Amino acid sequence: MKITAQKKLLIYKILLFLFAFVVAFMPTTASRSKEVNSRVIVEILGIDGGDDGVEITAQYIMPTETDGATSKDAVTVEGASLTEAVENLNTALGRRAELGHCSLVVAGEDAAPELFGTLMTATDVTADVHLCAAEKSAKELVADITAFMKKTAATDADFIAYSAKRAHIATNTLLGFLSDLGSYSQTSYLPIVQMLQGDEQSGGGSGGNSGNGSDGGSGESESGGGGGEKKESDGMTVEQLALYDRDGRAGVLPRQAARGVAWVSAPVEKGIVVADVNYDGETVKAVSARLLKKCAHIKINHEDKSATVKLKATLEPNGDKFNVLDEKNAKAASDAVRDGFAEVIKREMSAAFESGKALGCDPLFIGRQFYRFAPECCKSLDLNEATVYFDVDVVIK
Amino acid sequence: MQTATTTASRTEAGGAVAQGAHSTNAVETKQATSRQLISIVFILALATKMFLLPISLIQSIGRDAYIALAIGGGIDLITLGLLIATIKLSPDVDFFELLKRAFGKVGAKIFVAFVALFLFFKLNISTTESLTFYSDNVFADFDTSLMIIVLLIFLTAAACHTLRALSRLNELLTPIIILCLALLAAIVVMTGFDLANILPAMRAPKSFAADAARHAAWLGDFTPLLLFIGRTRTKKHTAAFTAASGVIGTATAVFFSIVMCAAFGNVSVLADTSTNLSSILQYSIGNVYGRIDLFSSVLWSISAFIETALFFYATCRCVAFVIGKNSHMPIAVGVCVALYFTQVYAMTDPTVFSLIVTSYAASAITLAFAVGIPTVALVCAVIAHKKDGNGKPASETADTADTAADASGSENAGDNENADGAPQRDGELTATTDAEG
Repeated sequence: MKITAQKKLLIYKILLFLFAFVVAFMPTTASRSKEVNSRVIVEILGIDGGDDGVEITAQYIMPTETDGATSKDAVTVEGASLTEAVENLNTALGRRAELGHCSLVVAGEDAAPELFGTLMTATDVTADVHLCAAEKSAKELVADITAFMKKTAATDADFIAYSAKRAHIATNTLLGFLSDLGSYSQTSYLPIVQMLQGDEQSGGGSGGNSGNGSDGGSGESESGGGGGEKKESDGMTVEQLALYDRDGRAGVLPRQAARGVAWVSAPVEKGIVVADVNYDGETVKAVSARLLKKCAHIKINHEDKSATVKLKATLEPNGDKFNVLDEKNAKAASDAVRDGFAEVIKREMSAAFESGKALGCDPLFIGRQFYRFAPECCKSLDLNEATVYFDVDVVIK
Repeated sequence: MQTATTTASRTEAGGAVAQGAHSTNAVETKQATSRQLISIVFILALATKMFLLPISLIQSIGRDAYIALAIGGGIDLITLGLLIATIKLSPDVDFFELLKRAFGKVGAKIFVAFVALFLFFKLNISTTESLTFYSDNVFADFDTSLMIIVLLIFLTAAACHTLRALSRLNELLTPIIILCLALLAAIVVMTGFDLANILPAMRAPKSFAADAARHAAWLGDFTPLLLFIGRTRTKKHTAAFTAASGVIGTATAVFFSIVMCAAFGNVSVLADTSTNLSSILQYSIGNVYGRIDLFSSVLWSISAFIETALFFYATCRCVAFVIGKNSHMPIAVGVCVALYFTQVYAMTDPTVFSLIVTSYAASAITLAFAVGIPTVALVCAVIAHKKDGNGKPASETADTADTAADASGSENAGDNENADGAPQRDGELTATTDAEG
């Protein structure tokens, strides 16, 4: 049988694709046991400190002899600089710690912003890794998260990625954080992760939240040692925002103001909005709706140095209470619900701006918008004197 | 004995190809189809403009880097226009033959020697790009002096084959590159990337001009298309599609540089060679979709390799023409040795690379060559076109060219007969015809 040149070419093409496929996947399958066993993969990295020394806490996973099993633990090391601390981490683990798969970086209260620039350029941590903040010490939070993940057998530290999509909280990545700080607004934010402590073991803590981060030995530091007084975490909450300027953490935005930032930040979607609705002379408490879609932009007027934050949000009210209202008069009820939600959203955004201003920050990035579209105007711009309007358009589905 | 003729019988002695009987069958001497030309132009338009160049521009210019890249892309598109016009004007006479007719044999060799030097310089830039990508993004421990040998083997193999083989390889792999580009672009669009961060534009026009002028060494990416002059089977709309391919490729490179500028506009000092599109987009799509590094790797492995191979091939063909011998393997090995030394002892050192490539002198010389070579080619084609008579059919032109080539002597049978220096095997002609249906 004679093989034509066209058939030959087809055979070559198929062989080439097969070769490409084999090359792409063979190293991670055929030699898995040999490669993976010699690696330590860091999932979460906590950073504390600044000029006087850096302390990093790594939650790492290590493959074990059991088929498909891994061990998860945390270790804390110190160094005069971040690069030295990373080198010490390798020494502490006895092999090169793989930072390229790190999916979360936790910033301690005193972590200097410059450290994050070094983290991006001098280590394998990717620019798009999610960042979150610890209320006090990153070391304690990483230890608590590790204990919680072991308890729940969670394999991924992607709760911030979840929050970015489903919870109404503004999240940030490493590059985004640095870019925001480098912008004209010189402000950035990180969501604060707090652990929820179990009732039976919560010492003087406040109800649900761990709050004050007491040094009661919650840290599983120094190679996962653990202590007798260690609190068990029941879960975590992400409701507040830590605001940063170029010097470090400027303060914390409470829940309402943090929600206001989330309305303007890009990745938030599918969050829940709750409002008290005035209808027909009475107040219906806690009508809730799910956010379906939002579009926010800031319009500036460089002549009178005012800015208008425009938001269009599409909400889908949850059944029960809305249906009761809707039965009476669909149009009027819908309008009342819309106005109620619009008012709540406006209050949240206003709180974000005012709270940020009180801390000397610009969490809605009004200044950055002035710089983008009227850079000359920025020379004489004082954000404290600028007027900011909020224009909220709610669409009820 | 020139490009419009086809070998009916051949003898090979000492690696040189001597060709015998003539034929005026112009079609058979074609090394590439119009489709292959279009896909090569697409790759050349974006390959080396998507990795080190945007990073270097962002580091020195900041958020306006994409404007500098767009200007550079525009200059390259002008040179592409000149080359397309030359390919159209000279459908049957190749670049080397055009030069010989215009400048004489000695003049042509001197000119080609300079072209070879320019191509070798460009070859070094694209090779450095490939090696930097692997050393900074793929392997934790990368020994350049060792790993470059793998690349050199590939380049030698490419140089020992024909332009047709390289064109076919590129044609086969271009869809994969387009797929990766489309996926990365879709991720950028779907994740709501803040592209407004490229504003405000041109805040410091003076420093912009000075810094942009230092990056002209990346111009001239279309220069290897010289080899396609007189050797491409063109169709009615080939010129238009080729130009469109160049514009789309350049626009793609500019779009991705806009993304990089938006990402690093506020923190330009943080951009380095380990940052690429996938590293800034990875977590924006969530963890559920797995790592997207593969897209960048495929994009780079293929497009940069193809461009490097083309520059290497073109350099070898120019050397073959200058020395008057068509010995593929020795020439390829010689160029490899030179490339090895320039890479290992100079170009892969970031400081040396920066000093050499981003200097005003290198930029000025590159700009002169990038624009000058296609211009000279076009002028030669116009002269040849006028000499041979406007509107003459290709076969007639070929006959005239045949005479002119014979008159130039037969000592360099290889470069007359097959100026791109590639051995034409009987089977290849059949294969091309079959493959194109």
